[in-house]
Amino acid sequence: MKKKNYYFITKNRRPTEDRRFVTGQGNFVADIDRPNMLHVAVLSCHEPSASIDKIDFSPALKIKGVVDVITGKEIANATRPLMNGLDTPNVKRYSLAFEQVRYAGEWVCAIVAKSRAIAEDAAEKISLKTTSLKFVLDSEEALLPNSPKVHKKHGSNILLEKKFVWGNVIQDFKKSDHQISYKVNWGRNSTVPVETFGVVAEWNAWKNILDVWASIQMPKFSDHIAFVLGLRVNQVRVHYDVDVGGSYGVKRGIKHTILASYISRKLHRPIRLIEDRLENMRAGDAHGPERKFDVSMAFDNDGKIRSMKMRALDNAGAYAGRAPFQLGKPIGAIVGPYTISSVEYTALSVTTNKAVQEAVRGFGQAPTNYALETGIDKIANFLNIDRMKLRQKNLIKSDQFPYIIPSGSEYDSGNYQAVIKKVFATKDYNELIKERDSLRNKGFMAGIGIAACLEPSGGNSSFEPLLNSKNNTTTWMESCQLNVDAFGTVTARIHTTSSGQGHESLVSTIVGEMLEINPDEICIARPNSIESLPGNSPVGSRMAIMLGGAAARAATKLKDKILLISAHNLGFKKSKLIYKKGNVFAPDGSSLSWNEIVELCHRRIDQLPEGMDPGLASFDIMQVPTGGKLPVNDKVHMYPCYSFEFHLVLLSFDPIICKPNIRSYTVGHDCGTVINPSIVSGMTYGGIAHGIGAALLEEFAYDENGQLMTQSFLDYLMPSSHEVPEIKIVKHSTPSPHTFFGQKGSGESGYLGAPAAISSAINDALSPINISFLSLPIRMSLISDAIDNQNK
Amino acid sequence: MKLKLSGTEKIDVSSKFLWNSIIDPKILKECIPGCHEMKEVSDGEYKIVLNLKVGAVGGSFDGKVKLSDQNPPIACKLNLSGGGTLGTGKGYAKIIIDEKAKGTSLMRYEGEGEVAGLVAGVGQRVLLGVAKHLVKKFFSSIKVNLSNNRSQSQ
Repeated sequence: MKKKNYYFITKNRRPTEDRRFVTGQGNFVADIDRPNMLHVAVLSCHEPSASIDKIDFSPALKIKGVVDVITGKEIANATRPLMNGLDTPNVKRYSLAFEQVRYAGEWVCAIVAKSRAIAEDAAEKISLKTTSLKFVLDSEEALLPNSPKVHKKHGSNILLEKKFVWGNVIQDFKKSDHQISYKVNWGRNSTVPVETFGVVAEWNAWKNILDVWASIQMPKFSDHIAFVLGLRVNQVRVHYDVDVGGSYGVKRGIKHTILASYISRKLHRPIRLIEDRLENMRAGDAHGPERKFDVSMAFDNDGKIRSMKMRALDNAGAYAGRAPFQLGKPIGAIVGPYTISSVEYTALSVTTNKAVQEAVRGFGQAPTNYALETGIDKIANFLNIDRMKLRQKNLIKSDQFPYIIPSGSEYDSGNYQAVIKKVFATKDYNELIKERDSLRNKGFMAGIGIAACLEPSGGNSSFEPLLNSKNNTTTWMESCQLNVDAFGTVTARIHTTSSGQGHESLVSTIVGEMLEINPDEICIARPNSIESLPGNSPVGSRMAIMLGGAAARAATKLKDKILLISAHNLGFKKSKLIYKKGNVFAPDGSSLSWNEIVELCHRRIDQLPEGMDPGLASFDIMQVPTGGKLPVNDKVHMYPCYSFEFHLVLLSFDPIICKPNIRSYTVGHDCGTVINPSIVSGMTYGGIAHGIGAALLEEFAYDENGQLMTQSFLDYLMPSSHEVPEIKIVKHSTPSPHTFFGQKGSGESGYLGAPAAISSAINDALSPINISFLSLPIRMSLISDAIDNQNK
Repeated sequence: MKLKLSGTEKIDVSSKFLWNSIIDPKILKECIPGCHEMKEVSDGEYKIVLNLKVGAVGGSFDGKVKLSDQNPPIACKLNLSGGGTLGTGKGYAKIIIDEKAKGTSLMRYEGEGEVAGLVAGVGQRVLLGVAKHLVKKFFSSIKVNLSNNRSQSQ
């Protein structure tokens, strides 16, 4: 179905969720208060690597109000290690450190008390005896044979090493006129949601059920809890109606939830564990990719890029987490929007004595886009060709879609040239160059930043079998259920938590559109995990495609039933009937109203077609479009949809203080048919703000002793309204052929290109004095020091 | 993170009087900022409990102070180690006392420390300032303390 005139889709409708959030009436995990609830604080070890020799917690137990102290040994005896999706049986991770701590801040003990304050006070009384061990922080050093091993039994620090060759790389390099090689670094940063992670777990021994309220954005959460605790999955009831105060990937919380759930089962009391900011920053699931790239590109005199070699070395931190797979997603868009015909890609993930890395917006795509776009600028510089001209030369053309890239993914649709043209119609390129040059004449360092990037969307998990041959998952489904009650009102059920993506607006808009009824009158319910159909939660920019798709398909099934009943009662073939706003019209002028049809379904089975079930309900479990195959020869098609974004930035700074001032920011964005424009704009705007942070400010920086130097907002700097400029979003829509309305994903938009664009602008600003930065974040002090050094 | 501190203080007492004072747990307890407890556990070894606030964080610190390389009343080395909610720390300070004129001593100190945990991560930008401030406070207290003691003993 591809129709142009929508009732509700593409219209600027106020998101359903806004009412409760704007008025402060959200229901977050900290709002969950259970009778007799106990609270948990954790004791962490400050050493980056140490054996745990003795934990004396007897003084803590003497404090009034303290109920129990749990150690890693107790947890390791009672639970399975957390799952990591890799084939690394000797990289074991538990909720609490067992026998050894592997990063500064790792949790060693959990203190259970009547209040969080008492638990924190008691933590101070615990004496922890450790013996320091050698540690390693740098990912290149971690690869050396004589480097300290983070997991001794694993035998090396390598979690994942896989080299792919797609196409004839050797020949393409030989044939090319030139090649350049460069290194770029993506600094360890994150998403820093307002709400830290929190969980309330309550074991009911009489019902044999574990209730979990958690601030999560995580696929297969209840499966994971059940597996680690040795419960049946139908004994774990994760409540999806908890509002999540931001995530953008990091709200995994599995170690926290296992800990709280274990304690609840042991003590038969509800347990609450809510991280404070320091716990979150040091040892929560806060850290994102930290990646070193070695890239070579082969190209001709005319700017045509033929081939690329890329080695991505990822610093996963102390345990596996989701980090290694974040090297996998970028394979689905490894050449970006360009016609590079062969690629060699080495994905390398190593353990170090830093905090564990988790999923972050884009799942590794933003660093790869930054590495690619830096190369495009470098080639333009090498050949002395304008950066835009070089991009135009290499961009995939609109008549080339569907376009299969060397790694096997098929780009669904796009018109990159049209998006760029629209951006330049808003902000003329030549005028922008003039503006930059006039700033330079006034003594400023001024630069134009350009980035053209893709957002693979529709969240599949094909990278798992690609990176781990023991994994043969070929589906990553999502579900939706619809019910029309006896009074004719519609309820849609979604089976996941939301962390601000507006899923209630998404589903009500789509069901309203399909049934041609007012979306505001549709109730969106979130059953718990036991009552839910299978789903994989909002990851990989997938919900507009997958949840929206499942909702549209369920509504189609419902409409189909309505038409069958109408055909039976009106005496016409189904194909002759017209459905309009809930009512069905026959060619002879007769009709059935919505209420009449509902009445038939709920009270008059004698008037339904023979064999038809009563009631008016449907459900859909949707497979990812275009997905479903295992890799063949290291190639697999990954994502159904590819959104495009084109960033154009002008920034300047004075050569002394060097504080970047973003003077103009324009982004062209094409994510196909937009379901709710204000939600998509919000995501893009937020994504760009996040990207400005990654480019200029944010980093989890460790000192040489393995201590995290940026654990609070004093040192971990985030962009505020001072740093985030007004952003002009230029919209374009190239519908996807694979989705119900032509929609594509947008949950990672902005972030995927902003860091590349900002870096490009700074390097352009510094190009007259031959300084360039190949590592993010580029903090203003680094710029001013570099200029100062050059002046010496 | 590593910290380095050094300095010189002029104190109007004899070197012997100064030496005896700075190895007296009672006086030290009064003069070390935030000191809650100071006990001699063996010869030249002290147990110390501090309550400190550094930047945005505060908490307790349980430590051990050990005197070595003693050359009374001229020189000694203090070795410090311990930990608490604020984090862990270890370090040393070398002290040399020089009686310049009768009843006036010059005390030179030079130390190096390494801290980890909250105090390093959260307090880093103020840590050196706080350390200098604490040392200054220590000496001003010890000067007041000694002048009181001296007037009492006279």
